[in-house]
Amino acid sequence: MPSKPPPGHFQILYFALASTLTGKDAEPLPAPLPLSQLFSKLEELYPRIRGQVLESSLVTVNMEYVDVPSHGEEGETVLQEGDEVAIIPPVSSG
Amino acid sequence: MDRIDHLRREISLRESELAELRSQLALAESEHRLAKQAEPWAWPLSGEEYLRYSRQMIVPNFGIEAQLQLKAAKILIIGAGGLGCPAATYLAAAGPSHIGLVDGDTVEKSNLHRQFAHATSRVGQTKVSSAITFLKDLNPNVAYKAYQTNLSTSNAEEIVREWDIVLDCTDHPTSRYLISDICTLLGKRLVSASAFQKSGQMMVLNDPPGQGPCYRCVFPKPPPPESVVGCGEGGILGPVVGTMGVLQALETLKVINREAPPEKNMMLLFSGMAETPFRSIRMRGKRKDCFACGENPSLTLEGLQTSMDYVQFCGVRQPVSLLQPEERISVKDYAESIMGKGHVLLDVREKELFGLCHLAGAVNIPIGRFMNYRGEEVPHWVTDTIPGGEPIYVVCRVGNDSQIAAQKLMDMGLGKNGRFIGDIEGGLVAWKQVVDPDMPFT
Repeated sequence: MPSKPPPGHFQILYFALASTLTGKDAEPLPAPLPLSQLFSKLEELYPRIRGQVLESSLVTVNMEYVDVPSHGEEGETVLQEGDEVAIIPPVSSG
Repeated sequence: MDRIDHLRREISLRESELAELRSQLALAESEHRLAKQAEPWAWPLSGEEYLRYSRQMIVPNFGIEAQLQLKAAKILIIGAGGLGCPAATYLAAAGPSHIGLVDGDTVEKSNLHRQFAHATSRVGQTKVSSAITFLKDLNPNVAYKAYQTNLSTSNAEEIVREWDIVLDCTDHPTSRYLISDICTLLGKRLVSASAFQKSGQMMVLNDPPGQGPCYRCVFPKPPPPESVVGCGEGGILGPVVGTMGVLQALETLKVINREAPPEKNMMLLFSGMAETPFRSIRMRGKRKDCFACGENPSLTLEGLQTSMDYVQFCGVRQPVSLLQPEERISVKDYAESIMGKGHVLLDVREKELFGLCHLAGAVNIPIGRFMNYRGEEVPHWVTDTIPGGEPIYVVCRVGNDSQIAAQKLMDMGLGKNGRFIGDIEGGLVAWKQVVDPDMPFT
């Protein structure tokens, strides 16, 4: 899990089912990207990820959690170069 | 077989009786030693407790104060499985006043690689009685209370009410929401952990009570039911779930012994095989609009008991019904009229399950490859694995994924020129039941 994305990118970390579905622990994606477009960007890359994983997951930016707006809103978060985003689906088994 | 079962039951009964006698003996001996001493005992713990707990009591800032606080604590552990075994073991060993264990399951052999409070000799016993046998032998000073049932809307209040702190060691979204809700309603702090395959999560909820976020604040929307896979299907490594259960025990000790509530609530993420195995994320406070703990919560104790349906809230996995009856074949018909003739048998279970056991001649393409494929062309991983024009029979574990894969193969155009594509109804589970009971794994 390399922690520094290349220039012009943010790093996205995939946990649990997000990692299973993408087949990756992490990857760099091009920045800047408005947070409201994150889910559709990921759905482009990984079919079914939105309904199966993203909508029930916790999303964090730089290890603090955020609510992902459904469409562009005033003053919404834009993911910047060097940011670290994490997709954290609930794990329920034990 | 009856005789074997009878002997097993007798042995396991005798073993629990022996463990019970040993724990009574240990207590009686310790009382006897105390009674023999002429001088009144001038210390807050018994001599036995000083010996037993000395190594933790001399840890900086733990001390006798923490031990006494722990000695007054009543800890409820819901789930006596992969998380519950390590959590209960370390907590019981540390010396609380009471430990309650809630679980309605019985011990199975497939539990033993991770659920070490159980034992080969106790397969078939209830998990709660098996675990208490083990815990009493470890530390007879603790009072153990057994709840041989699963937590439900009707028993949750009665069970949870009398405890100081609750550990969620269960294995399904329905129980996670129920436990969080009852802890919110009764003002109990909740140490919640989970584990699957190689990773886990842990967080303390409703901490401090009435102020910290609940499970619904963190995960307001349950995962879709078809994405919920248990350890029985998806697998779990013993030390991964063990790590999470041990961390839960540590967190519980911290919550019981700390002087002030934490400034921020954290969620711990554990990725057992990653370069960075531990990460912590900072959680927000409560959601204002939270159903259970928000500003105008809709949840009440009465509502939980009378109208909450957690199964409906989390959804039920619907059986797949994609193929026509003539595209499906029973395991019996497959065994009698297809095996040995020219055809392709495509097994779409994960490659690890396929590797453990599969039908003779089967080839493997895991279902995930089909699910993620959006192209229009027939992909090379299909042509490489499925040659020629012979009929294709798809099989999986229970007969859902096999239909999805068969449908995808048709969509790719492999069924052109009248080539048969279909699946084996009921999958390998049905195969084991009907055709080959000696199949070791499905």
